[in-house]
Amino acid sequence: MKLSRPPRAAQSETIIALIDVVFFLLVFFMLIGRMDATAPFEVRPPMAQSGRDMPAGGVTLAVAADGSLALDGDEVSTQDLATALTSQLAQQPDLRLRINAHRATELRHVLPYVTQAEQLGVRDVVLVVTPERDE
Amino acid sequence: MNLKRQAQPRALISLVPMIDVMLILLVFFMVTSTYLNLDMIPALRPDTDSVATTVSAQPEGSIMIRIGADGHAVLRGRQLGADAVTDHLTTEIAREPLIQVLILPSGAAPMQALISVMDSAALAGVQRLRVLRLEASQ
Repeated sequence: MKLSRPPRAAQSETIIALIDVVFFLLVFFMLIGRMDATAPFEVRPPMAQSGRDMPAGGVTLAVAADGSLALDGDEVSTQDLATALTSQLAQQPDLRLRINAHRATELRHVLPYVTQAEQLGVRDVVLVVTPERDE
Repeated sequence: MNLKRQAQPRALISLVPMIDVMLILLVFFMVTSTYLNLDMIPALRPDTDSVATTVSAQPEGSIMIRIGADGHAVLRGRQLGADAVTDHLTTEIAREPLIQVLILPSGAAPMQALISVMDSAALAGVQRLRVLRLEASQ
């Protein structure tokens, strides 16, 4: 018995719809996503209603609940922080420092870095907050 | 003599590589993006300083809010919640719009406690806010 292979249909037009959907998804994720370096530990920023929109740019200092530090996603020691900030300031004099501290972090692990940044010459320091209640 | 032009094959652009690239980009953006709703509160501004300055002489027309190690705000000896702090500061602002609010937090207080008081002050319309930090003497 001779079985003949059915003729292959030409590429269907519905693939255009698939491309459209993928393209829309791509644009959607490109627009709403922020590509910040994430800290190597959990940081849940404190909640506040009066926060303003956070502009992009600058460096982010993440502070964990136990006081661990990360600068732009890389863990950093207290000693190395000053060096890193100084070199960043040399490249960008109007550097913005964003301090993203966990809401349970004790203030003795946060406020000294604001003072240190000010002493190094950083004039724009902001605290990261979230308007959302997530309990 | 009959010369017949050879039929040219129809040019075909394969869509498969394009779809592959788009899917890879899509997965990349889905994986690397973060979707936290983040805002900011200024701690230091280019023109003024507001947070973590050492204690200096208090100007007239100031009000001090202490934050204990347990995170509770204490205003004039009374422990107040966030709403009560906002109400109190709103009353003070109505009386004296340029009153300076000083926040003296304990080093053991959580970050959320400081942000809550700063938030209350901002909601009450406080223009002059300072966070004090006591430093050990050398």
